[in-house]
Amino acid sequence: MSIGHHPVQPSPERAPEPEAPRQREERYRLAIQSVKDYAIFMLDPEGRVQTWNSGAESIKGYLADEIVGHSLSRFYTPEDVADGRPQRLLSIAVRDGRVEDEGWRVRKDGTRFWADVVITSLWDESGKLYGFSKVTRDLTERRAAEEALRQSEQRFRLLIQSVKDYAIFMLDPQGHVATWNAGAMNIKGYAPEEIIGQHFSRFYLPEEVADGKCDRELEVAAAEGRFEEEGWRVRKDGTRFWANVVIQPMRDLDGRIIGFAKVTRDLTDKRNAEAERLRLAQAQEAIRLRDEFLSIASHELKTPLSAIQLQLQSLLHGSQVLEPKLRNKAERAYRGGERLTQLVEALLDVSRIASGRLVLSPERFDLTKSVDDLVDRFREQAAKEGCELTFRGGEPVTGEWDRLRVEQVLTNLLSNALKYAAGTPVELTVRAEGDTAVLTVSDRGPGVPETERARIFGRFERAVSMSHFGGMGLGLYVARQITEAHGGTIGIEEVEPRGARFIVTLPRTPRPAAPGASEGVEVSS
Amino acid sequence: MKRHKLLVVEDDTEIREALVELLEEQGCDVVGASNGERALAWLRSTEALPCLILLDLMMPVMDGHAFREAQCQDPALANIPVVVVSAYRDVQGNAEKLNAASFIKKPPRLEDLVSAIAQHC
Repeated sequence: MSIGHHPVQPSPERAPEPEAPRQREERYRLAIQSVKDYAIFMLDPEGRVQTWNSGAESIKGYLADEIVGHSLSRFYTPEDVADGRPQRLLSIAVRDGRVEDEGWRVRKDGTRFWADVVITSLWDESGKLYGFSKVTRDLTERRAAEEALRQSEQRFRLLIQSVKDYAIFMLDPQGHVATWNAGAMNIKGYAPEEIIGQHFSRFYLPEEVADGKCDRELEVAAAEGRFEEEGWRVRKDGTRFWANVVIQPMRDLDGRIIGFAKVTRDLTDKRNAEAERLRLAQAQEAIRLRDEFLSIASHELKTPLSAIQLQLQSLLHGSQVLEPKLRNKAERAYRGGERLTQLVEALLDVSRIASGRLVLSPERFDLTKSVDDLVDRFREQAAKEGCELTFRGGEPVTGEWDRLRVEQVLTNLLSNALKYAAGTPVELTVRAEGDTAVLTVSDRGPGVPETERARIFGRFERAVSMSHFGGMGLGLYVARQITEAHGGTIGIEEVEPRGARFIVTLPRTPRPAAPGASEGVEVSS
Repeated sequence: MKRHKLLVVEDDTEIREALVELLEEQGCDVVGASNGERALAWLRSTEALPCLILLDLMMPVMDGHAFREAQCQDPALANIPVVVVSAYRDVQGNAEKLNAASFIKKPPRLEDLVSAIAQHC
C-alpha cells in the first residue's frame, strides 16, 4: 500500500511516487500510529474508516475496533450529515486531490470539538481511487483563544470608537489617517469617509505644515517612542482649537514601524478657563493696587491739606481780628479745602464700592437728630448759595444704620441741591413709615428731566453738561450705593411747578441689600 | 475758661505746629511731640500731665498704636484720654481698637477739636 498525494487526474506533473520498500513502509506505519496530536487514518473509497491511530483515539474517543468499518459520517454533526457535508468533502478531495475544512466534529461521547481536517484522495498506479487519508486536528482551544482575542479586539475597537472626548486614531507610516473614532469626529469635525486616507497635516496650521512640523513630529515619535505637545490645531471648518497631542509609533514583531497612534484632546475650554482665571487674578490685583494707591494717595493728600486747613482756621479763629476782605478770602480758601477733602474721600469711596469693599458699621441712632445737626452745619453754606434751608422733622426716627455713611448720603444730597438749585429754597423732611425711615431733600432748581433720572445715580453721570458745572459727579452714585447697602432705595421725583425731590428710604432694622442692587457690599458685625 | 493742658503727638511738622498754634489761640497749653517715643519721654518727665492727648497713628520711631499700648501699661499715664487724629480711612475702627475716647478725621475742624476738649478735659 502506498500513501501519497494523487492529484486531480490526469495531471502529468504529479505522477505517483514509486513504491517504497516494505521496511520503510512499516516505519511510516509505526510513526503514524504513535502520533497523538493528530488523528491520522484512512478511509476506503466509500468513506468507511480503514485504519486508526492513537491520535484519532484520543481526539475522537473511539477505539480502533469500535470505529473501523464505520462511515466517516459518525464524526459529523447531525446537521452536517443531513446537509451531505461528509460526502461533499470526499467528492472535492476526489476532484481536487485534497480538501481542507474547519468545523465542528463530534466525539464518541457526543461532545463537539473544533477540527481542522485535511482529506487527501489516494490513487493506485492504475489511476483507480484507492481511498482517502484523513488528518484531523483538534483546534478547540486554539479556536477559543482566537475567539477570545477577536472579541477582545472588537471590544477594544468599539471602546476606542465610542470615546468622544479624545480623538484616537491611527496613521500609516507616512502619516495618512487610517482609522477614526467618535472623538476625532467630534473634535476635528471630519466624518470617517472624509478623512481616512488623507494626510494628518490637514490638522495643522498652514505655516506649521510649511515648516515641516508634521514630519518632524513623526520623526521624534519614531526616534524617541513618543511625541507630545500642546498647540493650535485646525478643525474642518477652519476654526482653531488648543490641543494636547500624543503620537506613539506602532511596531510589528520585527520592530518595523507599521504606523502611529495619535491621541488628541481639545483643551480650548481649559485654556480659556485658565486665561480667564489669570485675567481675573490680574484684574483683582489691579483693583488691589488701585485701592492701595488711592489709600496711600488720599492719606498723603490729606497731610498737606491738614496743614493748610489748620492754618486757615488759625487765621479765622485766632487772636487777631481780620479785616473783612481778608477774612472773606480766608473763609473761601477754607471752604475750598473742605471740598478738596470731600473729593479725596469720594475717590476712596468709589474705589471701595466698585471693588465690593464698602463696609457698614451699623449703630442705633435718631435720624431726625442727625439731620438736624447736619442742617445746622450746612446753614452757613446754604446762606452763601442763597438757599433758604428748612428742616421739617418732628418725632425721633430711630434705626440701625452706619451713622457716618448715612450722613454722607445726606451731605451729598444737600451739596447737590445747593449746587444745582442755588438761590432757591431747599427743604428736608424725615418721617417714619412703619419700619422704614423716609428722608427727602427738595429744591426748586431746574429739576431733572425724566430721561436723565435713571442715569444720575451712575458713576460720573451728571444731568447737566460738563462745561456748566464742575465737580466729579460722584456724590449721587456714592449716595445710592450706601443707601442700597443698607437695603434701602433712592429715587427722584418732580416738584411742581419746578424742582427736584430726592427720596431716600432706609429700613429701620438691618436688611440685606437686594440681590444685584449694589455692586457688592459687606456689613461688619 | 480754664487753661487746659494738651499733648499733640504728630510727626508732620507743619500739622503739629499748626495744631499747637491753633489750640494755643483757643487758650490751651499745648505741647507737641514728633513721635510716640518723644511723647512718652515727655509724659514721664513732666510734673503736670495733660488732660488730653491728640494722637496721630502713622509715625516713625514709635507709631500711635505702640504709644497707646505703652501708655496703657503705665499706671501713671493710662487714664489720660486719647483722641485719635488721623487721615486713615478707617479712623473710627482704629480708634475703637485703641480704646480711644474718640476720633477726629484729618483735616481736623476746629469745632471738632473744641468739642473734644470740652468733652474730655
